[in-house]
Amino acid sequence: MPLDTSAYSLALLRVDGRRWNELRRIHAQIRTQAAADGSSYLEMGHTKVMCVVTGPSEPGPRRGTAGAGAAGASKAVAEVAVSVVVAGFSSVDRKKRGRNDKRNLELQSTIANALAASLHTHLFPHSVIQVSLHVLSQDGSLLAALINAATLACVDAGIPMTDYVVACTAGSTSTYAAGDESADPLLDLNHQEEQELPGLTVATLGESDRVAVLVCESRVQVGRLEGMLAVGVDGCKQVREILDRVVRDKGKRMVLEGTVAKGEGLEDMDLD
Amino acid sequence: MPITITAPKAVRPSYAAADNASDDSDSDASSDNGAADLEGDIPMASSRRKEDKSYSIVTPGEVITDDPQWMRGHGTFVSPSTSAIVSSVAGTITRTNKLLSVRPLRARYTPEVGDLVVGRIVEVQAKRWRVDVGASQLASLPLSAINLPGGILRKRTETDELQIRTFFAEGDLLVAEVQQLFSDGGAVLHTRSLKYGKLRNGVFVAVSGMGGGSGVVRSRRQVWTMEAANGAGPLDIVLGVNGFVWISKHVETPEALIAETKSATTGITNLEESVSTTMYSSQNDRIGVETMREISRIRGVVTALVENGLRVDEDMLVRGYHEAVEMAMLGEGPDDIYLGGERGEQLAAALTGV
Amino acid sequence: MPREAEPSLNERQFILQALQENLRLDGREFDQYRPLELTFGDQYGVADVTLGKTRVLAKASAEVTVPYVDRPLDGIFNIATELSPMASPAFEVGRPTETEVLLSRLLEKTVRRSGALDTESLCLVAGQKVWSVRVDVHVLSHDGNLIDAACLAVVAALRHFRKPDTSMESGILTVYTPAEREPVALSWLHSPFCVTWSYFGDEGEIALLDATWREEQVRVGSCTISLNRHGEICQIAKLGGTPVEAVTLLQCTNTALTKVKEFSSFLDKKLAEDIKRRDKGGLMAELSAENDR
Repeated sequence: MPLDTSAYSLALLRVDGRRWNELRRIHAQIRTQAAADGSSYLEMGHTKVMCVVTGPSEPGPRRGTAGAGAAGASKAVAEVAVSVVVAGFSSVDRKKRGRNDKRNLELQSTIANALAASLHTHLFPHSVIQVSLHVLSQDGSLLAALINAATLACVDAGIPMTDYVVACTAGSTSTYAAGDESADPLLDLNHQEEQELPGLTVATLGESDRVAVLVCESRVQVGRLEGMLAVGVDGCKQVREILDRVVRDKGKRMVLEGTVAKGEGLEDMDLD
Repeated sequence: MPITITAPKAVRPSYAAADNASDDSDSDASSDNGAADLEGDIPMASSRRKEDKSYSIVTPGEVITDDPQWMRGHGTFVSPSTSAIVSSVAGTITRTNKLLSVRPLRARYTPEVGDLVVGRIVEVQAKRWRVDVGASQLASLPLSAINLPGGILRKRTETDELQIRTFFAEGDLLVAEVQQLFSDGGAVLHTRSLKYGKLRNGVFVAVSGMGGGSGVVRSRRQVWTMEAANGAGPLDIVLGVNGFVWISKHVETPEALIAETKSATTGITNLEESVSTTMYSSQNDRIGVETMREISRIRGVVTALVENGLRVDEDMLVRGYHEAVEMAMLGEGPDDIYLGGERGEQLAAALTGV
Repeated sequence: MPREAEPSLNERQFILQALQENLRLDGREFDQYRPLELTFGDQYGVADVTLGKTRVLAKASAEVTVPYVDRPLDGIFNIATELSPMASPAFEVGRPTETEVLLSRLLEKTVRRSGALDTESLCLVAGQKVWSVRVDVHVLSHDGNLIDAACLAVVAALRHFRKPDTSMESGILTVYTPAEREPVALSWLHSPFCVTWSYFGDEGEIALLDATWREEQVRVGSCTISLNRHGEICQIAKLGGTPVEAVTLLQCTNTALTKVKEFSSFLDKKLAEDIKRRDKGGLMAELSAENDR
């Protein structure tokens, strides 16, 4: 089903009625799984993912082959191990993706490397932080949703990190073949847009302009990169705001319920 | 979309609903008049404003202060470019003199010297055991740090090394104390007191994580004996600081036995030997049905406390137990020890005095 | 599994400090490639790329098969990578390492998904017979920057490759041997090349091109940018690692474009040389034949 982009130039509205710089609805929860060290559930539009973090913990002698265990245990820093499971019912064509699918492996290694750069892994020698992600429903921006969910779950697990790693996608309104220079950048692509338009996934470290992940899988003119990157980085800041609010709300609720001791305000600290 | 995926339900719908209601009412009443807010009734919209510092939740990447007089503690780091102290976890700020640290809302157990912990043997090595205490690394228990049978203080021999599995084998539970810490945070345990050692005659409950309320807090008494209702014998409770809990039938402590015999001055050595053989026994004593029932009830109380985000300590547990016994008596039908779901909430409500 | 020895802390520091003083261990400029060599085999479709001590061999081949059911009009195009213990003892046969998976994904995205090869032109009889083109990439020696070398080798091999000529007459498909008819080149649309940047320093502020293996072990992040000489991005992959300023990435992309243009003309020149070499032989033979008469 080809995407009808003709409407965009008339009303400046996208297929789902958003403007160029609008994110889809992001809904997130933390601590969804009581048994895990950290867990989260994240929706970006119709893309729904779930994340469970176990650790940092030292793998016992039972775990896996001796080679893999030894490799993790001998490190001076914690190893971040990510597994992504894509549910068969997550997309419209019920395609079975194997565990060793190359695309899947690439996703896993991208998320692991992005998290490892922000998490303070040097605090946990010999241990492994196991991040397991489950894709329940796909509607574009999958990598971005996975990165965001993994970050939230790591925050929930209380693993120290430099800042949130937040991600979103950005695209451009016309296909690469049309050499029109006036193409507008778009924020947060859904599945239809992702199929038809050039796009990239960008993840930044918190509110800074520092890019941890940049993945572009479609053909696009070099000139449009700057605009797309700028919109993507800006989107990441919005996403960070949303995720931060989720964590704060949860924290505040816990303080209100008295399950966590109240913090000491900065004001009274400055007094002495 | 052929399949609809619904978000996971909040663990306690009642609480969540109450909170949302208060949030809504606040946002309706326009959050500008923040001064009129009652305590504990903060609208969500103002979460990022400076004024509600009393709850001061900090999140990763948030600058706590750039004043150079403070020192950074756990849960913080110094940003290399601005030399400000930045939070690295989500939690509340604590300070000790000039030391700023952030207590995470929830995290794994971090061992400290002197902590009483319950652990499970994961691996047996030549001269030590590796023990899972729920920390980021396995703790180690050297053979030299346990009480060897046949005399309280005896030198460790090669025979002991060869029969290391007769003391503790994989999967055994034990209570121990953190003796020292390695520089990388790994803990070394010891059981060189008759209070410590292998755990028998009861059940194990893990309370995940520490901090975040739903954990065991460090307190004056982590081990105590309590009387149980319904004709059961006394029960021993061990609350490991690491969130592992052990509930068992009360057995006379070896110390008490020895003290008794000492006063009788008959065959101390014999008795010590008999004590030490039972010390590493893997056989349970005979436990009466009543006692088992009460042990299960306490286990139910612990899980109910955790599910409802309450602290687990001696006071809460004892009160919770009495409450549970009463609830069971008031309820019609046979005595029910089940404390999940609604009954758990009921129990929690009774405890928090709502 | 033998693991690659990791550089010690002191080695790391030495390399880093040298870089901060604008010095690379082998004396190159930061954006300078190692000497690049490309040779074609006697057969069509064999390309051997040497980049410093890194050496990659790519071989293209084609056979006639049945197309996939869901794409009856498209030919089949595959890139197979193999990192054998020949390149480094850390690589094992039959168990793909992360490096290998990422390499093959990158090549696939750069060459296959960007539509460099017109797969529709490989169709012989719709739904029944298509060409299946396959490129095997063998890493003969690994001294860093495998991706750029492998990508160049794949593109060179495919552009050098000639598939047997075919004809369709009244429903009968004939595949001619090279003796009967001169083989034909693939229908090639554009030539993408990869340029990999490696980042060093706490904030990834130092960017190097064409890192050696030692430098790759010390780097904190990398970014592979695939472009063609028309200034079209085919793929960008910065898969995690230390975050890098967005502005730096844009600058890297612009520098990468000039490098890609160099690669492009380099490859064109080499292909032309190769054609001349082959052609000269043919012409001489013809001339001598004439003389005989």
